[in-house]
Amino acid sequence: MKISYNWLKWYIPEIPDRDMIWDIFTYHLCEVEGIEKIGEGVTSDTIFDINILPNRAHDLLSHQGIARELASFLDIPYVDPTPKYKIPESKPTNLQIKVESDKCRRYTARIVRDVKVGSSPEWVVNHLTSIGERSINNMVDLANIVMYDCGQPIHVFDLDKVKGILIIREAKEGEEITTLDNKKVKLKTSDLVIADEDNVLAIAGVKGGKIAEVDENTKNIIIEVANFDPVSVRKTGRGAGIFTDALKRFENDLSPELCDFAMLEMSALLVEYGCIDFENIIDVYPEKQKERKLSFSINKMSKMLGIEIKDEQVVDILKRYNFKYEKTLSADGHYPLVGGEQYEIIIPPLRLDLQIEEDIAEEIGRIVGYDKVISKIPKIDFQPKINETYKKILWARNKLLSDGYSEVMTYTFCDKGEVQVLESAFDKKFLRTNLKDGLKESIKLNQVNLPLLDTKEIKIFEIGTVFKKDKEEIYVAYGNKKEIKEISLEKFCEYNSSQLSLVKRGENAGNLIPLDKGDKGGLFNMWSLYPFIVRDIAVWVPESEGKENLEKLLKENITELCIKGPELFDSFTKKGKTSYGFRLIFQSYDRTLTDIEINEIITKITNKIKENSNWQVR
Amino acid sequence: MNEEIKKGSQHPLSILANQAYQVFSDLNFEVIFGPELETEWYNFDALNMSKYHPARDMQDTFWIKDKPGNVLRTHTTNVTARAVEEAHKQGHMPYACISVGKVFRNEATDATHEMQFFQIDGAMVGEDISIADLKGVLTYFYKKVLGDDVDIEFRPSFFPFTEPSIEVHAKFKGKWLEMMGAGMLHPNVLRNLGLDPKKYQGFAFGGGLDRIAMIKWNIPEVRLFYQGDLRLNQF
Repeated sequence: MKISYNWLKWYIPEIPDRDMIWDIFTYHLCEVEGIEKIGEGVTSDTIFDINILPNRAHDLLSHQGIARELASFLDIPYVDPTPKYKIPESKPTNLQIKVESDKCRRYTARIVRDVKVGSSPEWVVNHLTSIGERSINNMVDLANIVMYDCGQPIHVFDLDKVKGILIIREAKEGEEITTLDNKKVKLKTSDLVIADEDNVLAIAGVKGGKIAEVDENTKNIIIEVANFDPVSVRKTGRGAGIFTDALKRFENDLSPELCDFAMLEMSALLVEYGCIDFENIIDVYPEKQKERKLSFSINKMSKMLGIEIKDEQVVDILKRYNFKYEKTLSADGHYPLVGGEQYEIIIPPLRLDLQIEEDIAEEIGRIVGYDKVISKIPKIDFQPKINETYKKILWARNKLLSDGYSEVMTYTFCDKGEVQVLESAFDKKFLRTNLKDGLKESIKLNQVNLPLLDTKEIKIFEIGTVFKKDKEEIYVAYGNKKEIKEISLEKFCEYNSSQLSLVKRGENAGNLIPLDKGDKGGLFNMWSLYPFIVRDIAVWVPESEGKENLEKLLKENITELCIKGPELFDSFTKKGKTSYGFRLIFQSYDRTLTDIEINEIITKITNKIKENSNWQVR
Repeated sequence: MNEEIKKGSQHPLSILANQAYQVFSDLNFEVIFGPELETEWYNFDALNMSKYHPARDMQDTFWIKDKPGNVLRTHTTNVTARAVEEAHKQGHMPYACISVGKVFRNEATDATHEMQFFQIDGAMVGEDISIADLKGVLTYFYKKVLGDDVDIEFRPSFFPFTEPSIEVHAKFKGKWLEMMGAGMLHPNVLRNLGLDPKKYQGFAFGGGLDRIAMIKWNIPEVRLFYQGDLRLNQF
């Protein structure tokens, strides 16, 4: 979610600088995915792209939410706009709302007459564009402003396009709606909609419809501020393939209590636009959100976090965060001793994430800061058992490595098999029934690269899971280009069981030390993705001279394009002369080498060799 | 032939997995294994991810055809869940376990995302295991695997299976990098595994092994691990 620094400043005039905000977000609240400076001079702003996770999506997907959080964290004033929102006395209304499904938890609506639809004032356009939103018209923009400001989605209907009463119900078989962006959506009977007597006007909490759209001719509007069941909104959105900012908020579950403020704010902003003709608010709220209380003990906080949490610290947090709280007595009527203090708090309505004592531990942990947690190595009274599967894998791997096989890992997905996945982002939908097919591909690939590898023959293995109709099992496959053997890990170890002692047995699994611990250290060298060229040079050298001078000459002349070699691959002696065969491999990191340029290098080298009359190029 | 057979080379992820097992075994963690094709219960529900929880959005899951309620595991926390449940049944409390295994995500692949990768997952449960223990264990692990000059820090996060939840970052060669998710096991998870959350508490952590390998050895692409190319085996 994009958050504007200037917007936050409205509510917390004492907001610290941007770097400090980044710090608070990162270490005490949420991940900052991006930070961007926009505009110039007085209109310049900083936009934070923050990642609010589902547990705080109830109360933090808004500027006010973030501002309240920062104000409490820093113990600086939060300017509540409520007192300055004054609405002219409203008139009686004929608006009728019928809620027919419990998927609608609250529906508040009011008619505002004689509105003038047009473009938005500058501050509205600036606010919206700063967080990457587009201005549409002043009515729609206000609804959006309120959502990004307090977190509550709002919808506006053109009153004169609505026939009779508003009904909140599930869609009927075969019903359709054309959404504001001109998409035709077939509705399912589980989808919640807002309808009038004739038509579906909106998909509840997801998207508005074309029929009652506010346009430049709109005179009178209905403001909808409602609360819908999160699962229903989520399913409907998924089914219709629609994702909106409103949906994102509803599917994460909003408090129905938020409706009041949102209606007030929307109305107050309309007053700023010059609207005066407000009708009474209709409020259908069958089951009011209950007040919830939560108890916790300081002991438990300290025990979970592994830091000594002090009573004063907790009281300070409860005060800064405006929790109503009470210190509770223990069963014998006394306050518990230091460390054993208990508190009961009244959970603020928007804080749907606070459910259990552990949630308070998280609240205290993140506010205090996890940097206060001092590391300690736990000593527990527990003797681990040796894991048989691990022992076998380790043994099989060591055995194959010592027999000269190298390890590969290939893909679990393939073209055919006995077990299939439903939806896949890939063309391969089956799970492998063997490792062999993967190894064959691997051998083919490595065979091509054989000159580059430090081995004479490709011998590889894989230990991995294969999937048969009714069970998965770990298999071992190993082989070369002629033959690949494949057998279950179980059987592989059974056949070789006499050698199981290769693995040292100790008291715990940690003593199952792999024969080859691997990790020679150093960093990875990425290979070139371009083809390589192999050239062999064989030269007759006097037997007494040895190969050193020739090797030196080669090294001096092969250029940086030679990535491997000179490597002696062949030598034999005849009549006082020894033939040395050296292999040179050329490859570039940035292009495909041509025969012509390699020939030039080779020609240069052979010419140099010819300068020595004791040497003859074969 | 008299020539001695030249030893084969090991896959980097095996080297790293063995190191991880070794480090955690030193701290008395039990090495555990579990199924790659898993029930919805152990992959999601037992871990406090209800059917329509928005957190399931974070997991792009491969569902198994003709086997309703079965998935390719999206994390190895399923193995941890099974092991903690079993250990408690057997009366082995306190308990600590560590697993490394292949996991699957149904998402588009790129240089840092793969449909299959390895995850390292562990937990410690007892009567007074805390976030301080978690910090101690993970600091020890990252120092052993990435070097003594590595620092770690905890940042607030959210996972359905832990409360409090944190994200673990490690400072490697001067840069803070996101390494894994962790936290204190959610009481619902403990309850689902048959443990009384009033009596027991514990930490859990999990993250990509491939990612650690990429950071440790400076390997540029996650996809290199599964090409079957022997040029990968440099260590």
